[in-house]
Amino acid sequence: MINRILKIDLTKKKAEVYSDEKLYEDFLGGTGVATKLLYEQHIEKIDPLSPESPIILSIGPLNGIYPIATKTIAMFKSPLTGNLGESHAGGRLFMSMYDANLSAIVITGKLDMPSYIAIENEEVRFVPANSIWGQSASATERILRSAEKGIGKRSIIRIGPAGENLSLMANVAVDTGRHFGRLGLGAVMGSKNLKAIVISGNYRHKMENFAEFNKTYNEIFWTAVKSPAMKKYHNLGTPQNVLPLNKINSLPTRNFSQGFFEGAEFLSGENLAKNYLAQQIACANCPVGCIHLGTLREAFEDETHFKTLKIPYDYEPIYAMGTNLSINNPNALFKLLNTVEKAGWDVMETGITLSWATEAFEKGLIGTNQTEGLILNFGDAETYQKVLGFMKENKNEFFSDLNKGSAYCAEKYGGKEFAINFGKNGSPGYITGRDAFLGFLMGVRHSHLDSAGYSIDEKIISGDLNADPAEEIDMLINEEEWRFILNSLTICLFARKIYTEDLVLRALKSAGINKTSEDLKNIARKIHALKYKIKIDNGFDLNNLNFPEKLFNVQTGRGKMDKATVQEMIKTYTNRIKSLVETHAQ
Amino acid sequence: MRKVMRVVNRAQCIGCYSCMYACSRTYFHIATTKLAALRVKNYAGVEGAFSIRICIGCTHPDCAAACPTEALTIREGGGVIFHEEKCIHCYKCVEACTLNAMQWDPIAREPLVCHQCGICAEYCPNDVLALVEVEDDREAHND
Repeated sequence: MINRILKIDLTKKKAEVYSDEKLYEDFLGGTGVATKLLYEQHIEKIDPLSPESPIILSIGPLNGIYPIATKTIAMFKSPLTGNLGESHAGGRLFMSMYDANLSAIVITGKLDMPSYIAIENEEVRFVPANSIWGQSASATERILRSAEKGIGKRSIIRIGPAGENLSLMANVAVDTGRHFGRLGLGAVMGSKNLKAIVISGNYRHKMENFAEFNKTYNEIFWTAVKSPAMKKYHNLGTPQNVLPLNKINSLPTRNFSQGFFEGAEFLSGENLAKNYLAQQIACANCPVGCIHLGTLREAFEDETHFKTLKIPYDYEPIYAMGTNLSINNPNALFKLLNTVEKAGWDVMETGITLSWATEAFEKGLIGTNQTEGLILNFGDAETYQKVLGFMKENKNEFFSDLNKGSAYCAEKYGGKEFAINFGKNGSPGYITGRDAFLGFLMGVRHSHLDSAGYSIDEKIISGDLNADPAEEIDMLINEEEWRFILNSLTICLFARKIYTEDLVLRALKSAGINKTSEDLKNIARKIHALKYKIKIDNGFDLNNLNFPEKLFNVQTGRGKMDKATVQEMIKTYTNRIKSLVETHAQ
Repeated sequence: MRKVMRVVNRAQCIGCYSCMYACSRTYFHIATTKLAALRVKNYAGVEGAFSIRICIGCTHPDCAAACPTEALTIREGGGVIFHEEKCIHCYKCVEACTLNAMQWDPIAREPLVCHQCGICAEYCPNDVLALVEVEDDREAHND
């Protein structure tokens, strides 16, 4: 396995590689290694947008080797939350890092002018590029794909104008239709004058035990190709969830006012596939192909000229810019997604901030003097387009503030009770019940992917599981800790049912890494504790945690939540985290 | 009748590179796309547009004709056989292939020659590639 870390200092324009066998022995790779590297940077003393602020990219021992081990982990200090920043992306980035024989890249410093960097194996070139500053995230990829030939398959990650303007919800686009979406990595890149990173390599990693490797490869590949669960990700993709969630009253609508969206059918995976899907594409080394590109065909001039764009769509963007803003027209939704994509914002934080703003406008907390005369209404896609335009140009103080996310805005203008964020991160799209929310609140990156509490809620709704607060907390923690292992390898979580513990141990073994089930549990606990140590050191207050008040008045998939029970659960969960940090953070 | 490789459903390609991984894995025991005797190219700015360049097993291969040392000889059934000891690393075979199907190993400085074995097609999840029976070089170019 690779244990080579490339350290890049943008200020000095210097790079060096070092190896650290023990780090990988102790933390596997991916999120485990990135957590340890971030911990060592002592980000509690660092402003997230200062030159010292680190960007860590990290892959694991199964990346580049086995199918659907397609993720790269990014860790940083989040400018959105001021705390632990972590985001995962697919695409080809893992492959290019593997080909470059690099398991992690740590970037600090600041470039003296707008530039991009090109990494070819361990060689780093710093290329001044004033001409691409200001270009959309999509244009930047087109330009760099012809400017940089690379020495192997190239991965291009870049920011749009949102990142350049230090919007705290700016994302980083990765190849086609994939992103380091959450928690504001785009602003960190922007603060470093770093527009893009192009990575390629030409190392060849000979498999030590080829027969064993080949056997495991085939087992994973053919299970993935034949599995009905994986087929669903290819066929309808994640929007397959729209109708089932709507049916159980769990699809966030009009800023989490209800779980039923009357226009769900229009935004359903079924309708989009039937009427809008251009094609599916895949991350490298993944036969599933879950990335769905929708068609946006628009007339211009005299209605006889047309332009056709391909817009990547997934469940979360559909919820964030669709159902939760009451937009039911796929064309209008695709146009909004395209604007967000080109500017380079996190679509989820953008959606939550707009839905907060709309409710704040309804309630009179903000008015037309702030919105430059715009009247914010749920369902009004044209006005939302204008809002995005004003946000992009930081039109006035209010639109600048929108760029700082829903938590900041609610603090300043009011409406905290209906700013649906957890740990200052805009909520993912589930109103299934308390376990979804508890997962968002207590998960290390406040993501639905931390512990998938919605899945526990769904099992309770369907009657497959009985409600039991203590057991629900156990399940959330166990799931999150197992995912620390998958995220250290680094597997796409869509393949989590294929990558069982048994398969993971065998896959590691045939990659030359001998671990036991007990080893993995210990590593997971250590990762969990260390991440929380970072969170606490950066001011995450375990004694002051709650759900946004509005959610207690909403009918979730599991009905209305009992506030006292939820608060008791938060307390229990918090105590478990405290004792975990005491015993395992090192 | 003989069996050779064809791109039969180009537009169904999802760009997963399973074909290239399969080829490199089979012939070099290495997990990479770079030692494959075919290439899935993607185009800058055209999301999801792929072009697949694969040896179609010509009966009168331009690559062999261009080789000054007979390091490439005509394979029965179509395509070429590579004789490594004769290769002078001149790159002429790659330049001679208009399809851009002949791939190059920049480290060994040798062509990566397709064996017309069909392992790439076997691993294609979307039936883009196929090993098909043809009589004529001009047959079965479906896409």
